[in-house]
Amino acid sequence: MVSIDLAELSVREANAQLRTLGEAGEVVEILNPDARHHIGVGLTAPINVNVQGSAGYFCAGLTDQACFYVSHNVGWGVGDNMYSGSVVVGGNAGAIPGVAIRGAEIVIKGNMGSRAGQVMKAGTLCCAGNANFMAGYMMYGGRIIILGDSGERVGEDMSSGEIFVAGNVQDLGSDAMLTDVDSKEIQSVHEFLDRYGIKAPKGFSKIVNAGKKLRYGTPETPMRSIPFNTFSGDSAYWNPKVQEDITVKAQSGRYRIRGYGGARPLPHLSDIGFRKDLTQAGADRDVVSKVRMATEIGGINGARPLKLSMPVMIAPMSYGALSRSTKYAIAMGSAMSGIAENTGEGGMSDAQRDAAGQLIFQCLGGRLGWNIHDMRRADALEIYISQGAKPGLGGQLMAKKVTPELAEIRGIPSGIDLRSPSRHPDILGADDLVIKVEEFREATGYEVPVSVKLGAGRIRDDIKIASKDGFDFVELDGMQGSTGAGSAEVIDNVGIPTLPAIIEAIEALEEIDARDKIQLVLMGGLRDGVDAVKALCLGADAVAFGTSVIVAGGCISCMQCHIGQCVTGIATQDPEHEKRYQPEVEASNIHRFLESVRWQIAAITQALGYDDVTGLNRDDLVALTPEAADITGLPYEPSMAAASREPMGALS
Amino acid sequence: MCGIAGVMYRGSDKDFDTGEALIRMLDGCQHRGPDSTGFALYAPEASGRLKLRFFIDPESDADDSAAIAAIRQRLMDLGAGIEEEARAGDNYRVTILYDGDVQKLSYEMEHAAKVISIGTSLEIVKDVGSAHDVDDRYHVNQFHGTHGLGHVRLATESDVKPEASHPFWATGFADVAIVHNGQITNYWKMRRRLEQRGFEFTTDNDSELIAVYLADKLAQGIKLQDALSTSIDDLDGTFSFLVSTGDEIGYAKDRLAAKPMIMYEDDDLVAIASEEVSLNRLFPGKALNTREPAPGTYATWSRSI
Repeated sequence: MVSIDLAELSVREANAQLRTLGEAGEVVEILNPDARHHIGVGLTAPINVNVQGSAGYFCAGLTDQACFYVSHNVGWGVGDNMYSGSVVVGGNAGAIPGVAIRGAEIVIKGNMGSRAGQVMKAGTLCCAGNANFMAGYMMYGGRIIILGDSGERVGEDMSSGEIFVAGNVQDLGSDAMLTDVDSKEIQSVHEFLDRYGIKAPKGFSKIVNAGKKLRYGTPETPMRSIPFNTFSGDSAYWNPKVQEDITVKAQSGRYRIRGYGGARPLPHLSDIGFRKDLTQAGADRDVVSKVRMATEIGGINGARPLKLSMPVMIAPMSYGALSRSTKYAIAMGSAMSGIAENTGEGGMSDAQRDAAGQLIFQCLGGRLGWNIHDMRRADALEIYISQGAKPGLGGQLMAKKVTPELAEIRGIPSGIDLRSPSRHPDILGADDLVIKVEEFREATGYEVPVSVKLGAGRIRDDIKIASKDGFDFVELDGMQGSTGAGSAEVIDNVGIPTLPAIIEAIEALEEIDARDKIQLVLMGGLRDGVDAVKALCLGADAVAFGTSVIVAGGCISCMQCHIGQCVTGIATQDPEHEKRYQPEVEASNIHRFLESVRWQIAAITQALGYDDVTGLNRDDLVALTPEAADITGLPYEPSMAAASREPMGALS
Repeated sequence: MCGIAGVMYRGSDKDFDTGEALIRMLDGCQHRGPDSTGFALYAPEASGRLKLRFFIDPESDADDSAAIAAIRQRLMDLGAGIEEEARAGDNYRVTILYDGDVQKLSYEMEHAAKVISIGTSLEIVKDVGSAHDVDDRYHVNQFHGTHGLGHVRLATESDVKPEASHPFWATGFADVAIVHNGQITNYWKMRRRLEQRGFEFTTDNDSELIAVYLADKLAQGIKLQDALSTSIDDLDGTFSFLVSTGDEIGYAKDRLAAKPMIMYEDDDLVAIASEEVSLNRLFPGKALNTREPAPGTYATWSRSI
């Protein structure tokens, strides 16, 4: 047995030792833990760790195969996201024990805190004492065994899985119900308790999903879709789109869902122009080789940065909303152009990983597809807080889109109506977020950048928090960003537009003298290289494209992304529809689009008088509308509109 | 967005190392709040004496002596006799003999200078930086007394400056201080109610509101534990807070339990903090039998018990 004394070593040093010892199959004793956070985070070897005392937050988090014993208490999130292996806690556990576990066994001998097993996917969480409120909140699968009392609202919004309670069931959560227990299940529970030396009680109540939510009596009437540009143009008050909405709502009695971006006219990058007349930009056919565009993102705190051939990356879009083939094509296209792809919510597929040169792995509140092994093969990690198109809201993937393959990657039962929660179980404030970021860094040896995706809301406060919480970069998403599915009212009416978002973000960072402490990637309705250059002038370090990449790769903008029967094979999981999509062909289309972006960035940068994109600055811009002047503080020069509207004459 | 800590020693002694204990506890949870750190420290004075602390802004009050002279003059106008005075870091500390109305004194002084705290036993020390930074500037480790609160802050909505730091003194009420982690969402509604009754606020910080809310109840003769009980119903939002008076310490926690809190109690002391790692700083190497207060609960401890 090897001893590691935390009175002498930091947790970071101890975890590095544990990883080495784990490969040697040692038994390790942790002395003087004194409730420190992150003990054992990121272990992926069959090692036995005995913690002599209490552990803090995320003990045994993001692990696979390891077996932990903690003699006293643990803080929040014990066993976070654990695959296989076990944790036995001799004392009490704080909030969210067993959060997002994917197969591990977690046993708490004392009492456990609120929201036990939140968004867990598989495995068993057992508490010999009493549970606090909302045990099993939003669980997707697996089993919770509570030998004491259940706490209030047990099984709140659980999708699947079972909760067995031996004590008093205080009250049931929303969409949870009591059901009969069969003897086989009891036998299995008894076997589990035997294995951990816990005396089995006489009987159990069993709680499962009642299946009453997320089921709509009347489906939306299928209509012939109206192309986006038909209704978003110079729309009259009662245009065909408004009439269609009313007709559909008259049948369904609820709000409409759609995909794609907002249609409401809002101040945007098209309302600002360049100070110089750029009508001759791009006359130099060799401009791409003459302007330095290579950009590093994420390395400012010592992590290995993303190396982009130009200050552009792909915006996060999920495998789930999009088909596997589409994510594969985007990965290939991004690699051909030397930029980074982003997994979005739905986890990482092997094909996508192999095809993408650089891949950002995104972590959302449901922890769908999130796991230590894919974290290790990602080039950057990203905590999603919200998105510009529907800030503060969660999502829902209809059962039809939850195919067996998709379910496996996400770690959930296939064919369930899948709710994506709007918030993280373990990030309820900036203070928790610090501890979460540190967990990710521990799990990946401090090697890869960690970013935060923020839908523009209270940007001034949020961006300062992001900087203080030690993120390497922020992906800031404005209201003009798209979504795979959202309420039509929200898409058009909720959020902060991209233009004020970047202005406020830069101002806020300057206020706390932190402009060089965090990098900023802007997205949200950016369409081409012209928009990209404007964003860079305003202070972004890079930009990200989502919708325009999808359109480059075959999207016809019909806005029916949420239905799951995309005719182009993009926003679907139906193999018959997906067959129409040719990833290799679309990857080339995406690549060509990205190269057109490169050309535009180079041509405008050169025309503005620079040979490096880092030279771009605010003084290169003017406002073309009074609103844009007010938002940006740029001089109002409407006379520059003509020159800015068609800046790429020589390129067309 | 913060970390909080509180400690109360049992027994009749008044000479415990409360400053050092709180420095350690806050150093343990400094990751929750790197921007500023503060302490509310209690050591009883002889009756009739009040301890006052003021911010002397090194930038706007370039002429320290003028700022201090103005404070002195106002105190004398109010009939207070100055017993002791000193500069400490960016603070001016003064002990006075005063037998008038404390609320009147407080408001008068608020109008003349930036008051940090007023009390017969309370002194608040707070500034930007870590627990050790503030200790270096104000020698918190030399404070002895009976009990105290501490706070580390990550500024989310207001500026990083000393006066936006915690703990908050209940403006107008001697010896009441609070540290709070969370966000009160019915702040303006509650504040207007209290303002209509004549109370004044010196910041827009929701923690000051909780302090004044509780102090008002105490002034009406309501017990601290009963005031905490109604606070859980009256305040909306997420909160875990600690409150202290000259001889009591208490906590309240909202029903959502979004903000952590953990406590340890033995024959010698009661200690409460955001995270167990802070409690362990008082007992290195010892596995503690701690307890997490249940959501929607409150409790108080009194020095005399």
